[in-house]
Parts: sequence; structure tokens; C-alpha cells
Amino acid sequence: MRALIIAAQAAVLALALSATASAQWLNHPTADIPRTPDGKPNLSAPAPRTSDGKPQLAGLWRPSPGLTGDIARNLKPGDVPFQPWAETLYKQRRANNSKDDPTANCIVGGVPRSDLVGYPFKILQVPGMVVILYEAVHAYRQIFTDGRTLPENPQPAWFGYSVGRWEGDTLVVETTGFNDKGWLDNAGKPATDQLHVTERFVRKDFGNMDIQITIDDPKAYTKPWTVTQPLAFQADTELLEYICNENNKYFELVHDFGK
Amino acid sequence: MGISATSNMRAIVGAAGMAMFVAAMSGSLAAQWLNYPTARVPRTSTGSPDLSAPTPRLADGTPDLSGLWEAEKTRPCPRDGCQDQQVGEQFVDIGWGLKGGLPYQPWAAELVKARRAEMGKGDPISHCLPIGVPRTQFSPFLKKILHVPGLVAVLDEQNMSYRQIFTDGRPPLADPYPSWNGYSTGKWDGDTLVVQTNGFRDEMWLDRNGSPMTDAARVTERIRRVNYGKVEIEVTVDDPKAYTAPWTARINHFLLLDTDLLDYVCLENEKDVSHLVGK
Repeated sequence: MRALIIAAQAAVLALALSATASAQWLNHPTADIPRTPDGKPNLSAPAPRTSDGKPQLAGLWRPSPGLTGDIARNLKPGDVPFQPWAETLYKQRRANNSKDDPTANCIVGGVPRSDLVGYPFKILQVPGMVVILYEAVHAYRQIFTDGRTLPENPQPAWFGYSVGRWEGDTLVVETTGFNDKGWLDNAGKPATDQLHVTERFVRKDFGNMDIQITIDDPKAYTKPWTVTQPLAFQADTELLEYICNENNKYFELVHDFGK
Repeated sequence: MGISATSNMRAIVGAAGMAMFVAAMSGSLAAQWLNYPTARVPRTSTGSPDLSAPTPRLADGTPDLSGLWEAEKTRPCPRDGCQDQQVGEQFVDIGWGLKGGLPYQPWAAELVKARRAEMGKGDPISHCLPIGVPRTQFSPFLKKILHVPGLVAVLDEQNMSYRQIFTDGRPPLADPYPSWNGYSTGKWDGDTLVVQTNGFRDEMWLDRNGSPMTDAARVTERIRRVNYGKVEIEVTVDDPKAYTAPWTARINHFLLLDTDLLDYVCLENEKDVSHLVGK
């Protein structure tokens, strides 16, 4: 049974699954992973590698809790270099409990917010592309690793347009082409269509990966700033089908507390 | 005409026959995203894509289903030209082409009659809910198939959704958690990927007419890439609650080159539901 924590801190929806039914789906043993003698996943084993020698990023991962609510939680106060208008907007969103959060209406979180949300996601590596399947709102993202460059003026999108390249053992993903509606976290730090995100995927060992996220959005922030989101490998479980807008009760809640 | 030329602008024909969404993109903006050349395409001596080239294969010799696919446009085009993502006949009636139509149970026939009279206003996809399996095979939205060890993943342009088909040899589940996509396992029968799915939620719609599918349904899809450019799909629905006998619908999918999936977020600025008044 997995508790689904939706956009706002205030609203917690529990998906009422029967333990027996979900167990069948969720408890399939993951193949080809290192295990300790007692059969448990050996999460401190070395990071596996693909046939071309690069770290294998594929697998089911879950962001460790912490940054979903406040992406700058581990920074010092004042370290988020807001432009004045962005700070004003942020304070308004804090004051009204993020009632206009797009994810409350089941819109995708986009980049980098989807790196932070505490639902599992599955990374797939295929020739020329890394794909992320997100449990949250059942969406996906494509990262092109075939050597193409970022388009100069792509169709604006929540996930933007992502290209990735290897720098040693780090997958470096650059994303631009955002719409101007993004929120970086539940608290409502804004992003604009000038956002350029750099994500550095560093698999530290079998069970742990970091995404170092650099936010470069000169419209909203006076300089680039960086946070780190740890991910934990999820063995012997699976993605569930999470359909956010099916029986969504968020607005009934948010309109009560959002005044 | 199965293979669509790359277009700078993709008209997205939405859920309802009566409701049409046009994604308003400037040609130059969309072109950058959509016109990236597909790699490793077999070519004829004149340099054009050889869509009738042999089926590509994975390292283990099984057919490679990878690519961007579009369902065959089985409806004649309007006089002013074909919509890029025009719905096909089976999108409206999944039993199109079946002699005698679908073998509805009496209650199901009544339900379809009522839903047609209401012009399908309750269709889940018109409310941005998932299209589900097997209806997605008949949808005009593009799908990208990926192979990774033990898994075939399908990225669906509709709602930016996806589907997993486990090909690692696991057996189907007896009683999976109910969902729109169900729980799918696949195995190769010669060159055909046979996908079995059960564990559906109840009260699904299979087409615009509102042909129902219940939680008793078991779906078998037989997917065969007959050459570089074409996949043939047979969909058998065995749902004794809603139908008096199993039935099989067929559709072809054609490869699209030099284009890609767009981010389609149905719920964003959704203006359709308020117009779905029925009659």
C-alpha cells in the first residue's frame, strides 16, 4: 500500500488498495540485481555499467523526501536569488497555500519538479535516448542522447526539450523550451520560459543516485543556483497506474484552506 | 494513405467527433521539435525511406518493434484534405468490419444505444481520463515503442501516458489491481508478440459509441511487424459480462519518420467538457 501525497502539503490522499491485490502487482522480484546472502538487494554494491562502459541508470527509483515541498530546503535562508517580482509571487503563493498549483489540477510537474516528487519513476535506457516513466500523474519524459543539440526555439512545454551527454560517469542533461507556467516546488517558487535546467545524474552505487539540479532562469533569479536530490533504488516493486484526475478531491480541500 | 508526410503543424483531432482541438503552433516553432531526422532508416536507391524493407530485428533475433507508430486512417479524408490525426472507423465503432457487429449482451446493447443518443458525452477521454487498453490501439494519437530487457514500453502521445508490457517471462496475474491499462505480459509466438492483459477497471469505453468493457475482460493483442514500415495488430476481447462471445478487431499501424511525440496535456486549458451537453 502506497500513500499518495499530492501537490500541497495539506492534502494527503490515500489510495485505497486492498493489500492482497496490490501485493501481486507490486511484489515481483527485480531480475539481475545484486543481492546479499539472505536474498535482500545489496544496495551498496557497485553501480552497474552498460555494455559501452557507462553507468547503468536504468531501474526504478524514488526521490528521497525533502525537496518536494521546498526545493531550497537544504540551502541557507536567502540563498535563493529571487528577482523581486519572483519573490513577491512566491510570498503570495505561500500566503494562499499554493492554491493555484498546476499539479493540483493534475497537470504534470515538468522539469525539475518531477525529479523531486516522492513517487517512484522508472528510467529506461535505449539507443539514443533515456526515457523516464513517472508514476506521478502517469506521464513520461524523453531525453535525447543521440548527440543532437538543443533546438533554439522549441515548442514550449512543461517538460521542455531535453538532451543528454556523458561527462565521465555523469549523465548531464540540459533542458530548455519551457512554458512560463512552471512551479519548482509545492511552495511555489516560479520558473519562466527562460529557464535552463542542467541535471547531473550521478549513480553512486547500486542503491543510490544523486541528481544535481542547476536552475538558471535569469527572468526569475539573479544567478544560477544548485540543489541535490538523492534517489533510492526501488527493488522488487513496480510503478502503479496513478490517474490524478480520477475522482480528484483536491479543490474541495484547497478552497477551504486556500483563503 | 498510411504514411503521413512530415508536417510542420499537427492538427490534433480530439476525443469527440463533435469536438476538435487544434494545437495552435506556429509552423516554425513546431518544426524544430518535429522535424528531427530518424536514424538508421533503410533507403531505396533513390534515397527515399524504404518502408517495405525487411523487419528489423533485435540482437536476440526477435522482431524490433521500436519506432513511432500511427494507426491506419480508415475513414475517407474530407474533401479539403486529410486531418493529420483523424479518427478512424474503429475509433467510433471498434466492431467496424465485423460481420454483424459486436456481440453485445442485451444490457450492453441498451447502454450503447443510450450513449449514442447522448453523443458519447460521458466518454472518459473527453474528460481527459485515460484511453486504456485496447482502445489506445485505435486512437489517432502517436505511439512510440521501446524495447529494454524484459519490457516493451509504449509512450502514448495521448495525455503523455505510457504502458508497460512485461516480456521477462512472468505469468499473468490472477487478480491484479484494477487499472485502465490492465496488467500486460507478452511473449513471442514466432515473429508475433502476443500480449495478454487482464486486471481492468470496470466501466471502460472501447469506442466513441460507448461499447463497454468490464472488469471481467481479458484482452489478447497479437502484434506483428510485417516489414519496416508496418505493424499488424489483432485485438481479441473476451469479456463475457458484456459480450456473448469473444471477438477480434484488426488494425494496421504505420511507421512515422522524422517526427516525434508532442507533449499533449489534455487538462491544460480544457474547454471541451462544458460543451458536451449530449442532446
